[in-house]
Amino acid sequence: MVGLPYDCLANPLGAVRFTFEKAVAAGADPAALNGKDWGAGDLFRDVLFDRGALSQVPVLNAKNIGHVQPNTLVRFRGMIQDMLGNEFYAGAYKDGSLWRTNKYRDVSQYPMGSSPDMHIWERHLLYCVQVPGLNPWADTSSGTVVARPGDQTSQHGEKRRRADNEDIDQMDMETSEDGIQRSSGVKKLREDGHPSQNLQLPEPVAESTGFGACSMPREEGDSLSCLIKVYDSSDSELKLNDVFEFVGVLTFDSDYQVDNDEFLDGFSEDTLASLPLNKVPRLHCLVHTKLAAHDFLHSTPLELKPQLVKEVRETLLSHLTAVLGNDGLAAHLVLLHLLSRVHARIDNFAVGKLSVNLTCFNKESVSIFGNHLMLAIKDLLPFSHIVPLTVDYLNAASLAPKKDYETNRLVTGLMQLPEGTHLTIDETQLEVGTLNSVGVENARLLKYLSEYQKVEYDFKYYKMELAADFQLLILSEGKSNILPADLVIPFQPSSVASGGVVAAETLEAWQWYLATVRSLSHSIDSDMQKVVENDLVAARQANRNLSSQDFSRLLTMGRLMSLSFGETSLSLEHWQMVKELERLRWERFA
Amino acid sequence: MASDTGPSSPDDSFSSPIGNTQSSPDNPAARPGARGGGRRRRGGGGGSSTPSSIATTPPAHRSRFAAASETTPTPSRTHRRTSGGGGGNGRPFAASTPSSTDGDAPPSSECGDGYDAAEQMYVWGTNISVQDVNAAIVRFLRNFMEAPLQADSIEEGKYMRELDRVFEIEREWIDIDAQDIYNYDQDLYNKMVRYPLEVLAIFEIVLMDMASTRNPLFEKHIQARVFNLRTSICMRNLNPSDIEKMVSLKGMIIRCSSVIPEIREAVFRCLICGYYSDPVRVERGRISEPKRCMKEECATKNSMTLVHNRCSFADKQIVRLQETPDEIPEGGTPHTVSLLMHDKLVDAGKPGDRVEVTGIYRAMSVRVAPTQRTVKSLFKTYIDCLHIKKTSKSRMQADDPMEVENGFNRNEDFTFDEQMVEKLKDLSKKPDIYDRLTRSLAPNIWELEDVKKGLLCQLFGGNALKLASGATFRGDINILLVGDPGTSKSQLLQYIHKLSPRGIYTSGRGSSAVGLTAYVAKDPETGETVLESGALVLSDQGICCIDEFDKMSDSARSMLHEVMEQQTVSIAKAGIIASLNARTSVLACANPSGSRYNPRLSVIDNIHLPPTLLSRFDLIYLILDKPDEQMDRRLAKHIVALHFEDIESVQQDVLDLPTLTAYVSYARKRIHPQLSDEAAEELTRGYVEMRRRGNFPGSSKKVITATPRQIESLIRLSEALARIRFSEWVEKRDVMEAFRLLEVAMQQSATDHSTGTIDMDLITTGVSASERMRRDNLAAATRNVIMEKMQLGGPSIRLMELLDELKKQSSLGEVHLSDLRNAVATLTTEGFVAVHGDTVKRV
Repeated sequence: MVGLPYDCLANPLGAVRFTFEKAVAAGADPAALNGKDWGAGDLFRDVLFDRGALSQVPVLNAKNIGHVQPNTLVRFRGMIQDMLGNEFYAGAYKDGSLWRTNKYRDVSQYPMGSSPDMHIWERHLLYCVQVPGLNPWADTSSGTVVARPGDQTSQHGEKRRRADNEDIDQMDMETSEDGIQRSSGVKKLREDGHPSQNLQLPEPVAESTGFGACSMPREEGDSLSCLIKVYDSSDSELKLNDVFEFVGVLTFDSDYQVDNDEFLDGFSEDTLASLPLNKVPRLHCLVHTKLAAHDFLHSTPLELKPQLVKEVRETLLSHLTAVLGNDGLAAHLVLLHLLSRVHARIDNFAVGKLSVNLTCFNKESVSIFGNHLMLAIKDLLPFSHIVPLTVDYLNAASLAPKKDYETNRLVTGLMQLPEGTHLTIDETQLEVGTLNSVGVENARLLKYLSEYQKVEYDFKYYKMELAADFQLLILSEGKSNILPADLVIPFQPSSVASGGVVAAETLEAWQWYLATVRSLSHSIDSDMQKVVENDLVAARQANRNLSSQDFSRLLTMGRLMSLSFGETSLSLEHWQMVKELERLRWERFA
Repeated sequence: MASDTGPSSPDDSFSSPIGNTQSSPDNPAARPGARGGGRRRRGGGGGSSTPSSIATTPPAHRSRFAAASETTPTPSRTHRRTSGGGGGNGRPFAASTPSSTDGDAPPSSECGDGYDAAEQMYVWGTNISVQDVNAAIVRFLRNFMEAPLQADSIEEGKYMRELDRVFEIEREWIDIDAQDIYNYDQDLYNKMVRYPLEVLAIFEIVLMDMASTRNPLFEKHIQARVFNLRTSICMRNLNPSDIEKMVSLKGMIIRCSSVIPEIREAVFRCLICGYYSDPVRVERGRISEPKRCMKEECATKNSMTLVHNRCSFADKQIVRLQETPDEIPEGGTPHTVSLLMHDKLVDAGKPGDRVEVTGIYRAMSVRVAPTQRTVKSLFKTYIDCLHIKKTSKSRMQADDPMEVENGFNRNEDFTFDEQMVEKLKDLSKKPDIYDRLTRSLAPNIWELEDVKKGLLCQLFGGNALKLASGATFRGDINILLVGDPGTSKSQLLQYIHKLSPRGIYTSGRGSSAVGLTAYVAKDPETGETVLESGALVLSDQGICCIDEFDKMSDSARSMLHEVMEQQTVSIAKAGIIASLNARTSVLACANPSGSRYNPRLSVIDNIHLPPTLLSRFDLIYLILDKPDEQMDRRLAKHIVALHFEDIESVQQDVLDLPTLTAYVSYARKRIHPQLSDEAAEELTRGYVEMRRRGNFPGSSKKVITATPRQIESLIRLSEALARIRFSEWVEKRDVMEAFRLLEVAMQQSATDHSTGTIDMDLITTGVSASERMRRDNLAAATRNVIMEKMQLGGPSIRLMELLDELKKQSSLGEVHLSDLRNAVATLTTEGFVAVHGDTVKRV
């Protein structure tokens, strides 16, 4: 693909049309195409990833939305908050004797006669929001991260590279040869085919406040939501609450001017009507990639060397110990906790979760150690969230997402978070009070979440369980009753918390360590399996009160322990360490 | 009042060439050809609305399809297919664009051409001959019989009788089972599904034709409502190729719009001279107001005004249907689709109803702005609803065994698809199906084989019996699990809850009596008192799982007495006196009152449940955590495997949950086993045997080892076991297994620990026969002591002294003060002694 006639970044639609015409010329039958990709996707993948053009694509955020030109290529990183179903559009049609396509655009460029040569294709609509609980260090769109030199290696990990905002503003290019001209401020879109069309373009959205203010409870003013139109993908690929990076064509077309047609009278079934254009931009997605924790890292991935892992582990552990006031045991368990994830589900049982309940906190100590710990976690993990549990909070908060049938939208709740989010639940503020029905429901939801790692979404007529994978850390005075954790440990600090300032590089190393090690696979060899089994049997013979939950916890800890050393199979040494940790833990209860 | 709805008006979308004719069906025979569909169409193209005005005021619009009169039926649909070889994709556009572009682009002239074309009419763009279809429909309607045994019998076809019924009750539609069409004429069925607009139009013409010959006085228009298509589509699989096809899908209604009156015919009046115009009909979604008064003498311009109460309106409603939860893939949100309901279908469903809908999937283009003609590249889709059927709300098909006899339910209800049935039948033939199902039940809970077998029986259930005298025998099996904490009782409960047909899961601690049964509440909107069902009523035909049964309040528990044997809930509150069905199986689990089960005490002492309630459980299992290294090892292995191994390899040879659910529901629905003679004999023999075991030769002690309740339980269990095998007959082996299950359960719960024999008295009264004997002995001994030591009317004696005396008698073993008090109390009632505080006095 040498010498493209179109600039894929500035005029993606031109490139799309070019490939379409080429495909048709090459004998592709638009009827048989049925919406499938004819090569445009490949072209963009090639340009973006293999040629490293991705870093030049601006990342859409609340601040720059007013400056980005419509019909250019943009990136958006977000969580799929709602799926708005499918949309049928006139995919291919004949303009005279020429085949045209409407793929990746809202309004057809050429007049569509009532010619029979028209094919309806479908696309998926996704409503995406900026990842809830995204910590500042992982937020690439905020413009704080500057691309480093030497980024041309163009791996997936590079996707997060972005150009500075200035670049976007300087982008002064012809976006289309169709006579679509624009000045940087007011965008006036005139389509050749529709001279009569009086497109009411949104006013320049300079005021960036109130973006995506679509009944999102956690609205903070400068988050942005985006309506993504996805082509060429199956339902199974895109799931609710997944975090994706979408690269596509931004449109400000007068999509869905209020249709007050009679069909909708008394029944505003048009879900999109509630998404005003100037608040929620439309993105016609060309390429999408699922993001995992390591996609949010800044540094180039380090090589997984045992020595390096061990070093990083040591420094991180000592950091956590310092944060936790020299309580080495708690620090060790918190480290394991930070590495936990649900790696399998059997029936109702989520294997691999390790929620931790740090008890013996009071209001004073929580303000010292709790805050330090929460800040430390914020710096370590890409997504984290803090829930201050009080009676009022429980009675008022909407934790579970709820379907609003009036607008046909899923109204998000605080528990609609992407996989791998860390949740710190501070129970120390909980006082005696009465829970109302909402509070009871919320408490039940939290309990259910902690037990099964599932969140029930309220669909009014029924509940739908969605699997979640949240790391739950509970801070409480006594053992939490609302959230039964896997691991309860009385917190015993011996000195004042000393988080200290951590060098950015060290922090990055820790972030890398947690993201990488966490996703390693793990196994056990048969000899070790025997040892573990014998230990468990012996333990149970000694203490009849040990239940399968206790066994599960031990095994999860064993697994995480060896993972924390970067090893993929359980060794006797690590197993002994886990047993020792458990012994020390039980001693604290004595 | 021109309703300028453009393409978005559903009415307009019907205006695809055939659909457009809302002609008056009032007297079809009288004016043949006067208002053929084609004619109106052509008029519409030119923007004129006059042709139809010659019709007298017809009743409200009844059909979306052509209601052309019988002599000119063909033209109305021959011009249908505009999209040449374009296949399915082209049609929707063709269907919707003409209307949206009306005015600027007159519809192609094919409609007119087709009118006088050759004899043989074809559906546009296909080789489907209209005449052939017409003839096929006539054949079908005339000749189809449900039991095609006597093909040449004089009896009339099913639908001819249906038609007569339509005349009788003056209905406006006729329900047509698509399955019947398929059975009679597959070709017709295929055509109907592919080209529903055309075929249904012909259908209605044929119906009108028949109606006029059979009953010339019948003036209503008859609409054909097709239902029960062979395949039903999943909502998220609707794709562009389904447009304009007949589809059937299941879903849940989530919203209904208010009823929208849609104008069908308008009457105008001249403001100057008061002249009433002829009714003006809707043309492509709009009514053109006459520009000038029709009356020649007047002819004032722009003087016509709409007379609302002389216009005719039809009901319309838009309903939103959402996917049922089971169709939603992991990590997806439910899809929705709009339904358009007309006339009688309006308000046929309420939000929350689960329905199966048959209709035509349609798409219409979206305009950029209402005032503009430009068509966006987008399409809105909806389903033009033909038939709506409510399906049961349960997760599984919880058919009502009591009501199966009338045979109606069986046809109407959800049918299993044939492949699945074959698969299930194959499964049922496997010799190890019983064990395999047992293994598949909660596979991650190991051991507890017999408990699982009992639960399996509960899932399948026995036959409910209703005698002519009105007495009913329940078929539901109630099970109680008692056991130590941490023995996965709750997990079992959860599992059964997930599997069972409409189950309710409650915890005893949080349940109140009314919450379980029913309560009267005031409707916030209407202020009426309404009866709200509680958990037990809601789980009618299902399993009600009650966790922490022992922690339930007594009042709540007492409600269960009625439910568990009579299977009804009676309430008399706030002026509402009702008896509700609660044919539910109860699966309860309880913890012993001490944290651990004390094997030396009886079940009743351990869980503090009233014996009256306990006896209503068919099976009571004790799940005890015995220190057993073998068990521990297996547990350890299991958990290690859970954490480290590939899950698939761990659980082989078990049925997955959907298959299991299907298996159970199929068996519950279709299999109604009866006792074979052999089985009945075995049952009698076994029961007598069990009873006999209570009689110890040479002992006066009488132990009840079985009661009539047990024999009922046994019958239910054996029926359930036969069902597991998909067998219509209960065989001897089922009965033997039932005995075994019962015995295992009884051995655990009803064993008298002092003697080691089964004693039903333990369950029914809470006191074992041996215990009772011991008490009798003690009382006798006390009496002897008192007789010896005390004089009639003499000084009284302290209880402690009496106890010491008794202890000297070695034959009694350990005697406690409380035992003595009981004994003395017995003697008091006999009038032998008098007790004052701690002293006993002989009287």
